[in-house]
Amino acid sequence: MSDVRALYFDGKSSHAHDVVLSAGFGADSKRVLQVRGAGLNLSWPFTQLRVSDRIGTSRRYLYFPDGSQCETDDNAGVDNLLIGEEPAAARLLHRWESGLGYAFAALAITAVVAWAFVVWGIPAIAKQVAFALPAETEKLIGGDTLSALDRFVFTPSKLPPERQESLHRLYARMTAGIDGASGYRLELRRGNRIGPNAFALPAGIIVMTDELVELSKDDREIEAVLAHEIGHLRQRHILRHVLQDSATVLLIAFTFGDLASLTSLAAAAPTLLLQARFSREFEREADDFAFGYMVRRGIPPEMFAAILQRIEEKRPRGTDAPDYLSSHPATRERIERMRGAH
Amino acid sequence: MERTGAPEVALQFTGKAGEYFKIWIVNLCLGIVTLGIYSAWAKVRRKRYFYGSTLLDGSAFEYIGNPVAILKGRLIVVTAVAIYSLSKQVHYAIGLALFAAIVLALPWVIQRALQFNARNSTHRNIRFGFRGSKMQIFGVLAIAGLLVPVTLGFAYPFYFYMKRKVFIDNSNYGDRRFVFSATAGNYYVAALKVSLAFLGFVAGTVVTLGIGALPLYILLSSYAEATFARLAWRNTTLGAGSGEIRFECRWTTGGLFGLYFGNALGVLCTLGLLIPWAAIRTARYKLERISLQSEQGLGGFLAAVQEDVGAVGDEAGELLGFDFGL
Repeated sequence: MSDVRALYFDGKSSHAHDVVLSAGFGADSKRVLQVRGAGLNLSWPFTQLRVSDRIGTSRRYLYFPDGSQCETDDNAGVDNLLIGEEPAAARLLHRWESGLGYAFAALAITAVVAWAFVVWGIPAIAKQVAFALPAETEKLIGGDTLSALDRFVFTPSKLPPERQESLHRLYARMTAGIDGASGYRLELRRGNRIGPNAFALPAGIIVMTDELVELSKDDREIEAVLAHEIGHLRQRHILRHVLQDSATVLLIAFTFGDLASLTSLAAAAPTLLLQARFSREFEREADDFAFGYMVRRGIPPEMFAAILQRIEEKRPRGTDAPDYLSSHPATRERIERMRGAH
Repeated sequence: MERTGAPEVALQFTGKAGEYFKIWIVNLCLGIVTLGIYSAWAKVRRKRYFYGSTLLDGSAFEYIGNPVAILKGRLIVVTAVAIYSLSKQVHYAIGLALFAAIVLALPWVIQRALQFNARNSTHRNIRFGFRGSKMQIFGVLAIAGLLVPVTLGFAYPFYFYMKRKVFIDNSNYGDRRFVFSATAGNYYVAALKVSLAFLGFVAGTVVTLGIGALPLYILLSSYAEATFARLAWRNTTLGAGSGEIRFECRWTTGGLFGLYFGNALGVLCTLGLLIPWAAIRTARYKLERISLQSEQGLGGFLAAVQEDVGAVGDEAGELLGFDFGL
């Protein structure tokens, strides 16, 4: 076994001693590490030293009980000295970090696990958490969203008072038959640049624009749209959205945290892409809820498909409406799904 | 492991991109599989690799941070951020109160972070240290949070200067203290040059109809970084008297621009797979262009530093590992 050249530092001064490390036997014939250099002749039983992990070709350190230590670039030499003195598991990480095969395996596992967790894991956990929290939680989130929208986007509804009243009656009749919907309320507004639309807002508020009411040809169409929005609220989509977003960002930051600024830009991109996917799934869930409601009430699915189609045709192009207000993606797909559903 | 008595010694970096790629991807994989828990160990492994590949006069630096302490620190930060962002949703007043509490706790947290990083960095079995007080850190934060907005940004170079000064003047390697000798005036001159370069950036962006914005921005930030880094390093000394060590920094705008432009291109084109390569070449460029000079020869100085016995030695292990950069 060849000797290992190293530097010895006593921990009190920065003076470097050139030393040679070798394995030998102590007085009680236990295996010891010998440290020999000019004016130095030390030995420690192997059981009393600590050796740093091998990390690539970076320097290796041997720590002695009195606070002194040795530093060497002869990683293989240290490994040879330690044969039989350390558990095999101690070299596991280095083995994983040295083989190209392990690197490719790690790359594949990283990609698959990360993708699966973000696409399925987080939404599933967020759903569990959202339904485990009391129903009031969602009302706490963003209670001032409507007032903000009233200030910047909406104006008061210009529908005739009788029409407004009949819509509220229609809504009350609907929610009376839906479990847990009593806390939600309908608000009518003129949508202006948002055009014909309806959305579920935090705090259990459903907003429907005048433009949508004017676009409808049958109150059953309005009922279908409202059922869809009640579906969003019933499925706690806003809370789930908040939970999913924060969890995704947190996970990405936590895992890539040690890469600092290089990835902060790259980290933002996947969350944005995923948001689109999240909301598409939420639309589907709300559609399913609406469809269940319509079947119970004997409303033909065409009613929903027809109003969706008309909204899509009337939708103002290139407006700067906030994204979640207009997040009804792939309308054609949804219309076909509705039409095929009966 | 040759050591020299030369009057000027540059740092040497022996890290290799291919080798670090494997370490990086195993770290990432274990981090994801353990839902982020391993990331504390990954961080220590990464820092040990970079420190252990950085040589000064024949011996390497060493990072001895405890992963468990880092994990605890991260959990505290994550919990605080989670509580803050959730309560902010509930009511803005609660969010505001918590925000104020976090701001008040900041000097303490930053002090701990700087201490943790310094005490866990060693060279030749001698530790670095940071002894800045909470009041000093609070002062720097107050400049950033109050003076800079009140003066409409005019105090920003002063903040930049004070941040560096408090950090360096309170740092030590063993029993030797670091001293920062730049003046606020130096920082204002540098800031003026960077401001003029910014005008060039704006003009260039307009002339190229916005196409040149990204490369020009990288050029601008390379210029700013090189200017301030050279200023800071050249005005830093270690130790006192005739044996003091002076630092030279030879980062250039062109060099940093080539570095960052290549990094951005490589990392984007490979969807992040070249991040380890970028990290290695960044470290190589920056480290190998920093050197130490001493009139009496470095060997003598480097061999005579004593461990700072008065410092909080054993407590270092107890410190929470607040490990974010500043």
